[in-house]
Amino acid sequence: MNEKRPAIGFTCAYTPLAVLEAAGFSGHRVLPTGGQWPDQAGRILHDNLCPHVKKVLDRALCNDLPELAGMVFMNSCDAMRRLYDAWIQVRPGEPALILDLPPMVTDRAIAFFAREVERMARSLGEWNNVEVTDDALAQSIGKYNQVADLFARVRVRAAEGTLSGGAPRLQELYNDASSQPFSETIARLEKVLTEAHGADPAAGGVQVFLFGNVLPDPGAVDLFTQCGARVVGDDFCTGSRLFAPLEVRDGEKPALALARSILNNPPCARTFDPEKPLALAQDLLERARACGAQGVIGHVLKFCDPYLARLPVVRETFKQAGMPLLLLEGDCSLGSIGQQRTRIEAFVEMLR
Amino acid sequence: MMYDYFNNLVTGIESTLVAHPEKKSHRKAYALEIARLGRRLYTEDERIAWCGVLAPFDVLNAMSVTSCFVEFVGAMLASTGMVPDFLQEAETRGFAPDTCGYHRAVMGATYKDLMPKPDFCIATSAPCAGGMGVMENIARHFNKKLYVLNIPQEATEESVRYLADQYQEMTDFVTQHTGRPLDREKLREAVTLSNEATAIMEEAYRLAQHVPSPANGKDLANFGVVMALLLGTPAAVEVARAYRDAFAARIERGEAGVPGEKVRLLWIQNRVQFKNEILDLLETENQAAIVCDELNAITWDPIDPDDPFPGIARRAISIPLNGTVKRRVKNLQKMALEHKIHGAVNPCHWGCRQGTGARGMVAEGLKQVGVPVLNLEVDCVDTRNYAPGQIRTRLEAFIEMLTA
Repeated sequence: MNEKRPAIGFTCAYTPLAVLEAAGFSGHRVLPTGGQWPDQAGRILHDNLCPHVKKVLDRALCNDLPELAGMVFMNSCDAMRRLYDAWIQVRPGEPALILDLPPMVTDRAIAFFAREVERMARSLGEWNNVEVTDDALAQSIGKYNQVADLFARVRVRAAEGTLSGGAPRLQELYNDASSQPFSETIARLEKVLTEAHGADPAAGGVQVFLFGNVLPDPGAVDLFTQCGARVVGDDFCTGSRLFAPLEVRDGEKPALALARSILNNPPCARTFDPEKPLALAQDLLERARACGAQGVIGHVLKFCDPYLARLPVVRETFKQAGMPLLLLEGDCSLGSIGQQRTRIEAFVEMLR
Repeated sequence: MMYDYFNNLVTGIESTLVAHPEKKSHRKAYALEIARLGRRLYTEDERIAWCGVLAPFDVLNAMSVTSCFVEFVGAMLASTGMVPDFLQEAETRGFAPDTCGYHRAVMGATYKDLMPKPDFCIATSAPCAGGMGVMENIARHFNKKLYVLNIPQEATEESVRYLADQYQEMTDFVTQHTGRPLDREKLREAVTLSNEATAIMEEAYRLAQHVPSPANGKDLANFGVVMALLLGTPAAVEVARAYRDAFAARIERGEAGVPGEKVRLLWIQNRVQFKNEILDLLETENQAAIVCDELNAITWDPIDPDDPFPGIARRAISIPLNGTVKRRVKNLQKMALEHKIHGAVNPCHWGCRQGTGARGMVAEGLKQVGVPVLNLEVDCVDTRNYAPGQIRTRLEAFIEMLTA
């Protein structure tokens, strides 16, 4: 059941995916994985920018992209903003849009972001020559929530150890879902859920919770498995944060519901509650505990300021709570995480 | 310790000016006001706010809050040569050496109890995500309330209103912590003073366009970004006037900021804050004058004193380090053409994603108006990574290329 829709590229889990579908597109997450591209992005940006952004730009420079009807960027961090700047320079004439994204969750910020979502809907409507109505948006949110609900169920299976292929397969499902229409993902996940309980390659492994920003390579997740860990939960923008449920309140405009839900969902380190500075650390700890994790592995991209600024307090909080923590730094490549194998093995061994 | 440092600085400059009125200069006027601000920050009975770079300091001055962006401390520690210990402290606490040196220095100063305890904090979403992270850390460390100003990227009617409403809410937040309500008349006076100061600063920048320029690299170092702290006060007007008058007088006397000016340079973003030989090398050895800095620009219109928040919002949004690179480059191109620039120097501050991250696009944009750019790989705060020999070689080669 392949639904043919033109694709819109995106690069950030804060992207309101439901708007893409409501405008007749499907989302295509441009991941920093898949090929070997010459390292060119540094000459346009700087080598000290996050490898996620540089690899995505390298893909654009090498035309290693599917046919895209446009790109939607989020002003989620400095690197992402610079990616937008570089993108419009290296791919002139192609439709591209950047949405402002408040760093805090207040009623005023939500209302502002809702107007940004409406702007996105208008722009995408123009790109596809359709009007994005509230009804279309509401329907699209409904489909997105089906995906979110199905993923929640698949995650339960993965955490129980009954998902055939375990956490690496869950990552494959996330990756596929981020680049296909909701309807295809729904069909796929429904099928997965009807599968007989399969063998988890990590059965009997030490239960760990993973957090960080971008870690889309199933091979990387598999490495944790090979090292004796069983992933019982994650907080990645290429993982569980990508399909977090959207809450629609009675009588609420869809754009406002999208804005409120997106800003209130489990955040990337760049979003925070000013009333509770650095609550990210405590939130991660509680989520890890709720999963029954024996330890936590943080994987953060080099040069990612939002995370780098919060890691000292994350480390301190976990230490005080007696929750073992291993912090890794990577560059999106399997090679970089492969170099950490010994540290991961030692960490897992310590937890046994 | 810090109070004594700033107090000695203030009294030293004041007594010099009393004893030797002929030594009065625009740069001394500027240094004196900065020292006074430093002293206030370390005075116990002051109301203190640690802020992000784009906080509305004139509004805070009108509310009798001594406020400062935290990066000021990083620059100060670098300029006094004290920074390595503080960087080391931050790194020991887990701050990666790949992050901004200003921010690491500030965090080190926080951990080593060098930062005065604020009454509250105000973060700004621009210019950078790293700054937001530091503000969150500082608020948590001091257990003080944090207000976040989300500065939109573009000035639309809606985004201006959004930010203007945040300023109104911010004043309520300030009142909650100081017990002092916003006095509309004081705000009106502060905004009038801001307008006056910025108009004079604009005149000074225009005078710097003269060939040869009355300005030199020392005159203009950190000027625009630090003057923001004085906005809304008579001191800002006084300092701006001192600059304008000094530049006008030099032109009148036919005196160049850099005697024998041969090359005119634009300095992009930040200066290198610690003691270094760059200015000597450029100006004394090669007669290459820094006649303008990217951050010395007035990119906004005068603000309506009777309804100031929309104008203050437009000001924050207009700052070149906010928004797209396209807008930033347009501003740089304009500056380069107006100042008849031969070349630009971009110190690519290690750890700065928002500014340095635009390196290639900035160079390309200036190339379009015939201005070559020298990218220097430096950390503007961290002396430990400074390689003077390499910097000298690159600068000399650049000047040689410009003068060939």
